[in-house]
Amino acid sequence: MPEPIIQVKHLTKVYRVPERAPGLGASVRSLLKPHYSDIPAVTDISFTVEPGEIVGLIGPNGAGKTTTLKMLSGLLYPTSGDAQVAGYTPWQRQPDYLRRISMVMGNRSALNWDIPPLDSFRVLSQIYRVPPDQYRQILDELIATLDMDALLKKPVRNLSLGERMKCELVAGLLYQPDILFLDEPTLGLDVAMQRRLRTFLKTFNQQHTVTVILTSHYMADVTALCPRVMLIHHGSLIYDGALQTLAARLAPFKLVRLQFSAPVENFDDFVAQWPAVEQLPMENGLRILRVPRADVPQVTARLLESLPVADLAVEDPPIEAVIDQIYAEGVL
Amino acid sequence: MNHRGGWALIQNTWQSWIQHRGFFFLLAFGWMLPLLVYLFIWSAAASDGAIAGLTQESLAGYYLILILTNQLTYATTNWTVGDNIRYGQISRWLLQPMSPIYHALSQEIAGKVVFMLFSVPITALLALIIRPQFNLSWGQALQFLPAIVLAWGLRFFWGYWLALLAFWVTRADSLLALQDSLIFLLGGHLAPFALLPPGMQTLARLLPFRYMSAFPVEVLTGQLGVQETLTGLAIQLGWTVLAIVLYRWVWTRGIRHYEAVGG
Repeated sequence: MPEPIIQVKHLTKVYRVPERAPGLGASVRSLLKPHYSDIPAVTDISFTVEPGEIVGLIGPNGAGKTTTLKMLSGLLYPTSGDAQVAGYTPWQRQPDYLRRISMVMGNRSALNWDIPPLDSFRVLSQIYRVPPDQYRQILDELIATLDMDALLKKPVRNLSLGERMKCELVAGLLYQPDILFLDEPTLGLDVAMQRRLRTFLKTFNQQHTVTVILTSHYMADVTALCPRVMLIHHGSLIYDGALQTLAARLAPFKLVRLQFSAPVENFDDFVAQWPAVEQLPMENGLRILRVPRADVPQVTARLLESLPVADLAVEDPPIEAVIDQIYAEGVL
Repeated sequence: MNHRGGWALIQNTWQSWIQHRGFFFLLAFGWMLPLLVYLFIWSAAASDGAIAGLTQESLAGYYLILILTNQLTYATTNWTVGDNIRYGQISRWLLQPMSPIYHALSQEIAGKVVFMLFSVPITALLALIIRPQFNLSWGQALQFLPAIVLAWGLRFFWGYWLALLAFWVTRADSLLALQDSLIFLLGGHLAPFALLPPGMQTLARLLPFRYMSAFPVEVLTGQLGVQETLTGLAIQLGWTVLAIVLYRWVWTRGIRHYEAVGG
């Protein structure tokens, strides 16, 4: 078992935020006597990540995901707690540490907008001291896999969002970091572009054994890339483990979709015999039942023997619905 | 220290700035105007004879050189530092294995090149028209070199530490405007040092602002004796060291305070 590459212990960040009521009077009063309140962004979180893992950090807006990434990348000093990443304390911002990590933010550009990306890449290769041969090799690889030959000579400001995101990824990866923090990398991208970026990240992770922590609001990113997820809510880590287990724990139900070969008149009464089974609105002429996992075999057996069933499918509820439920209720 | 990265950055910034040369030429022209106005005012005032030892032609020479040194020492970068902090832009520089001051320095150096592309020919043209008088000597030129380098260093680091206060207060750039006003008053813009009233001369001699702009010009145009030049250089060096110490002090504290806003 290798040593964990990321070790986080009791990490806490409390922001001190100036506060004032709206209006001119209040703004004058706040000038004379500013009022601050302490907003805990991250509270006592601990976890470890093994080299080469891809971990999804999920949670609603304002849950503390980005704050956690900012502390791990050295942008923020924690209020308390400790983190060791690749043997370094991130917020000491040692150059050797910064050369080993990369933080790509979907809403923040690392490129100079006035000049073509190729020029920015060259400067970054100098800043990160990438040997010229290695630079050419990794750049060729990234440009080929991301299919971005045509973008390299246009100023960044003339690129589309998707094109720019490709460039941001190249900028973040060309010095071959060991650890990659991705903050909403697919933000605002169309579905096709999201899928391409996912495929790319997966391949890159496998070929270069880079450790990835990714935050995203698109569950498709997480299901496609992250076998393991950490769920943050109100600054606390409330789940850390496999995505599938999370779904099972959260949604102890399965969906049973039914199609009948002949009309069924007393279906509602039939369903009423199981108080735990709930009938959901019909979709495309299909009846949908929400059945507790344990009851699924018995319910399906009874349906099949008593009713003219043409087709029956048992499914997990969509992950979005599951996550939506926790975001709204905040409990597991 | 990461000089290789810094040098690459300078080249890049220059490429990017040269794309906006029209904007920078206009800026340079804007900075030139008040000094030209004072050039004409003082030339007119000295048309009947020298004031405080300065003739019409030597006043013209003083202001023409001041136009150039003012642009060489003016730290435009500092105006953007506050916004970079306020809007969280500085985050991307903090992620790089290189001190963020390289970004400011690269903009400084790139900017000077762009400004000089405009200002040197214009000043030369003005010199042909106005026909100023210069008392230049090799000795003065030799003293001018450290004076101009220190003037730039002092003006840059002084503005930089003020701008870094943006870590705590949101509009620290008003302090930069104050710095500019004091340079205008005490830094030989409104009037050459020799023409200031005695009280203001004392202030100018003690405070850092004269050493950010007029002092090298006074050295080059031979307005100062050896003793005055050496004392001036010593005061200038002292202020520069203090500015660098303040920058380091504010920086290390500010960075701990930084909230990495946005995103």
